[in-house]
Amino acid sequence: MNNIKYCSFPETPKAALAWLLSRKAEALAVAGGTLVAKTLPETVENFVNLKNLPLDYIKKQGADLVIGAMATFDDIDNSKLVRGWAGGTISGAAARCSSQLIRNMATIGGNIARPHSFNIFPAVLMGLDARVRVLSRIGVKTYLFSDIYGGDFKLRPGRDCLILDVIIPGKTRNWVCRFEKFAKTEASWEAYFTLFMAAAVKGGVVKEVRISVGALSPKPFRAQAAEKALSGGKLTSGVVDAAALEFARDLDGVRASEFKKEAASSLFKRFLNGI
Amino acid sequence: MKKENARLKAVNGIFEICLGINGVKKSFSVKNTEFLLDALRRHGYKSVKKGCDTGDCGSCTVIFNGKPALACLIPAFTAHGSEITTIEGLGTVQNPHPLQEAFVEAGAVQCGFCIPGMILSSKHLLDANPEPSEEEIRKYLDGNLCRCTGYVKQIQAVRMAAKRIKNGEKRFRGKAS
Amino acid sequence: METENLKVVNKRVLKMDALGLACGEPVFTDDVDINGMLYGRILWSHYAHARIKKIDTREAEKVPGVKAVLTYKNVPRVPHTTAGQGYPEPSPYDSYVLDNKVRFVGDRVAAVAAETPEAAEAALKLIKVEYEILPAVFDVFEAVKDGAPIIHDEEDAKNIPDAKHNIAAKFDFEVRNGDWFKDADFVVEHTYKMPYLQHCAIEPHTVITSFDHFGRLIIRTSTQVPFHVRRIVAQALRIPVKKIRVIKPRIGGGFGSKQEVLLEDITAALTLKTGKPVKIEYTRRETFISSRTRHPATVRLKTGVRKDGTITDAEMDITLNTGAYGSHALTVMMCSGSHTLPMYKVANNIRFIGKSVYTNLPVSGAYRGYGATQGFFAWESQMDIMANKIAMDPVEFRKKNYIRLGEGSPVFKAMGEGREGVEQVITSIGLYEGIEAGLKAINWHEKKKKYKNQSGQLRRGLGMACMMQGSGIPEVDMASATLKMNEDGSFNLMVGAADLGTGSDTILAQIAAEVLGVKAEDVIVYSADTDLTPFDVGAYASSTTFISGNAVKKTAEKVRGMIIAVAAKILDRKPDDLRLEGGKVVAKDGAACSLSEVANTSLYYYDQHQIVASASHYAHTSPPPFAANFVEVEVDTGTGKIAILNYISCVDCGTAINPELAEGQNDGAVLNGIGHTLSEEMEFSSNGTPLNASFRRYKIFNTADMPAIKTILIPTFEPNGPFGAKSVSEIGINGPLPAVANAVQDAVGARLFSSPFTPEKVIAAIKNLQPVS
Repeated sequence: MNNIKYCSFPETPKAALAWLLSRKAEALAVAGGTLVAKTLPETVENFVNLKNLPLDYIKKQGADLVIGAMATFDDIDNSKLVRGWAGGTISGAAARCSSQLIRNMATIGGNIARPHSFNIFPAVLMGLDARVRVLSRIGVKTYLFSDIYGGDFKLRPGRDCLILDVIIPGKTRNWVCRFEKFAKTEASWEAYFTLFMAAAVKGGVVKEVRISVGALSPKPFRAQAAEKALSGGKLTSGVVDAAALEFARDLDGVRASEFKKEAASSLFKRFLNGI
Repeated sequence: MKKENARLKAVNGIFEICLGINGVKKSFSVKNTEFLLDALRRHGYKSVKKGCDTGDCGSCTVIFNGKPALACLIPAFTAHGSEITTIEGLGTVQNPHPLQEAFVEAGAVQCGFCIPGMILSSKHLLDANPEPSEEEIRKYLDGNLCRCTGYVKQIQAVRMAAKRIKNGEKRFRGKAS
Repeated sequence: METENLKVVNKRVLKMDALGLACGEPVFTDDVDINGMLYGRILWSHYAHARIKKIDTREAEKVPGVKAVLTYKNVPRVPHTTAGQGYPEPSPYDSYVLDNKVRFVGDRVAAVAAETPEAAEAALKLIKVEYEILPAVFDVFEAVKDGAPIIHDEEDAKNIPDAKHNIAAKFDFEVRNGDWFKDADFVVEHTYKMPYLQHCAIEPHTVITSFDHFGRLIIRTSTQVPFHVRRIVAQALRIPVKKIRVIKPRIGGGFGSKQEVLLEDITAALTLKTGKPVKIEYTRRETFISSRTRHPATVRLKTGVRKDGTITDAEMDITLNTGAYGSHALTVMMCSGSHTLPMYKVANNIRFIGKSVYTNLPVSGAYRGYGATQGFFAWESQMDIMANKIAMDPVEFRKKNYIRLGEGSPVFKAMGEGREGVEQVITSIGLYEGIEAGLKAINWHEKKKKYKNQSGQLRRGLGMACMMQGSGIPEVDMASATLKMNEDGSFNLMVGAADLGTGSDTILAQIAAEVLGVKAEDVIVYSADTDLTPFDVGAYASSTTFISGNAVKKTAEKVRGMIIAVAAKILDRKPDDLRLEGGKVVAKDGAACSLSEVANTSLYYYDQHQIVASASHYAHTSPPPFAANFVEVEVDTGTGKIAILNYISCVDCGTAINPELAEGQNDGAVLNGIGHTLSEEMEFSSNGTPLNASFRRYKIFNTADMPAIKTILIPTFEPNGPFGAKSVSEIGINGPLPAVANAVQDAVGARLFSSPFTPEKVIAAIKNLQPVS
């Protein structure tokens, strides 16, 4: 932080982006700051504090749920709207993030801007087909969340673009969802893994299904073989067993301990049996 | 304090910031490497404790623009224009806040190092939710670590304070001993 | 003496410093601003074992603002121990302020004092060190082999029993009554393991040293042992004791980590060098790595049992890892036996084989429980295993065997702390009542039936454990107090006892107030300052209530005598007819005068003198507190996660001087023990580098993690204690490990021998399931 010469308090995303793109001083945009405060790159000269941006909204827009990038984990945990969405799993995931003091400070924007294997939202957002609105030099563009995390995304949030909000499609509102953070103890910061499952179930038939796994590998991933085994069928014990088997296969390639994989499989099966 | 669409500039690595602490307007000179925890302690707010300096223990909790936050994770210069409450702003030995009284009466204070932070978190909890359940208290205080008490009496203290605040009770008679 | 007529003791009295602490008053070591203070920083070793071939500080000294750079070359070389124990300390003299060798990752290399923290840190980076890297050893069983790297090869170290085999301490003893295991129907042998654990006091250890206007060294430090600090710093820096004053302000928790000279010597050395005030405070990371830890333990326990429930023989073989230095190496090891072996009657033979072994890992030391935690994990697990073996209810098995009132044990005499112990018999015990209260509170019998035939992935189980501790070290620990009377009938109580957050100041005031017939708030306590308060060994070994409490009681009784002598003249009554009550001296016939009248008479009117007295106490016994702990768990057999549903801890601490504070002590000890059980463990890389030296990665329990905990105090009356009191602070930490292990066995049939019981270990144990026998 030795080189910091400026601290900017932009009131609009546009003003914030202007600081980021300015060539005069290397800038970094910071939202809650809980992840970066202690590890700020030494070269940063302009600390762009996003606290005054009007991006802390949580609202319904058409059929979709829109969560502003500056909404904190605490805001998301306590929003009635979010609690009523996807079986409350988005709020539930927010509540399981580290500690209340961090939940008061950390934002959803920050959580997805800076990938850490143990970040809690990515697995959930991936499983809900979330989209992300991003402001960059080409203007506002909406991306699939999975594309932002997929590796092809060339922009660097907080450096040359800003995350504005997260859009969760209306179709997921009444999906059957389950979320679990499995860790050494209830409140461990770092999870062994997070597991998210979302399914559109009609008349006992699984219409659409998403299964995503976080913290087991550097980036969250979808368990596609298991999804395939489940979709279109009824949740008979045969299907559940087959899906569990496929899920284990999905985890085969992951570099993680056998124990974690087994525990994840066990919880996955429990999800299915609970539906 | 009003929002500023502007930029603060450091001179030789020093920022001049204005902020409100316990309702009083203050001007601080802070280094660009300094965090709010150190700046507050340097200016005499010794109740804000350094237990880890990594955002994990909650000893440095202050109410920052309305919500409990970790002063050790806030670069001091970003606090420009902020409103901060420390435990000094809640009550004093002569005139304690009901939470401070309840922590004393419930036997919830052992070494006391974590207590200012724990009380500030509790204060915000009770402001937002005057009758929290035990589960809600446990969830809200999960960032304030204590190694002495096992939290048993601290949770009792918050419940005791909630009841007293609701009933408008005040125990300590503003005595100076 | 009974407790029913007590007015202040055993009553609800608010902790005297609580309100100030709750208001954030600046009372801790670091809460003062001192003009011209320098910031001290220490260069820590990155190598587990290396010799310093060259060290060049010239560049570091050139950094603007740097006032001193210390290396082994410019500090006195005096072998000493950092363990804050009575003199002569039973720990080996194997430590130096700075040495030309580093023995673990996190050992001291050099120290800097500068005008700003930035300058001090910049200077550290400029110290050039050339090391000869030495082979390191991290495993105790490798370290004792011939040819293992010798960690203490220096010639001037003292009292290391076998430096060539890295043995920092050893102790064996045997009680022999015939052939081993000849009467046993079953012989059970298992090995129990505990890893490195950290105290995690929330206040990191902090020291500020300065000179006063007489040129004396003032050490303001967060310590449990102010008098030992004074003596050890004097020894290590070769300065006279009279030149040092140690002040202990409020302390932010210790749990044993501050029963140690951690930074006082090096900070003082920087003040001696610069003539200026210097502060050093550990960061949290440094606290994890470079302060002290619990001795990791491997306990092999071999016991014989008869079908009728008689324990025939017991062989306890413990190997502790003392890390790079032997702080508390002998005494923790001995306490692992001396606090556990007397708990149950052993009919024939008892053998204890103990070793503490050096490795190139962080330094172990005193930690709440002090060996008993390691010992009881083994013992109380094995008690359940033996009970299962003979098909006896584990509660009944314990009830049949635990030590009774009036009984002694050969172990008391054989094993003291670092030397022979003291013969004693049990003079108070509430274990039976504790067991009964716990069974009822957890609804043991009904739940046992209910959980008999469970199906599904979530299985519940019940477990229990019994334990004891001590109350001070008999014939070693000494405490004293001074009490003086003021005009208004209030008193100043000066004690060397070190309140580290436990509330000892408050309970000592209660004891004095009880004797003097005043309110606790009429006793103003000051602790501790080596210039102003009389000697006390400090806050450790569960000694304060018992030893310091007795010293205060004796002192107050002396003062009471002096008050009565004055009052007898005022009232013209015989001293024998007078008593102190309600702030007055009252005669049998009802005549009375106030304490302030007595004080004013003695100070101003007649035969003027200050009513003041001092007294000391040391004890010939160490009456154990007893406890019975009960736990209900739910084990997820799919993931291996253990959920503690309910924890009941019944404690016989004699008379609880302050019941609320006693409960608080036990609640905290229990949750600390639960952390040990489910989560806590220091992890190291293969080259000895700590991997989880932060609260983020070394998980201590918070409010979301904690289970329901209930402490039930079981009143007894200990005739040797002040108003019947025994100790309470440590015992609670010994229960959770064995109680939870027993409950897991009850729930899923699998036995856990190695802590912490992580989901991974639980799953592994379930997979390897074979009935433990």
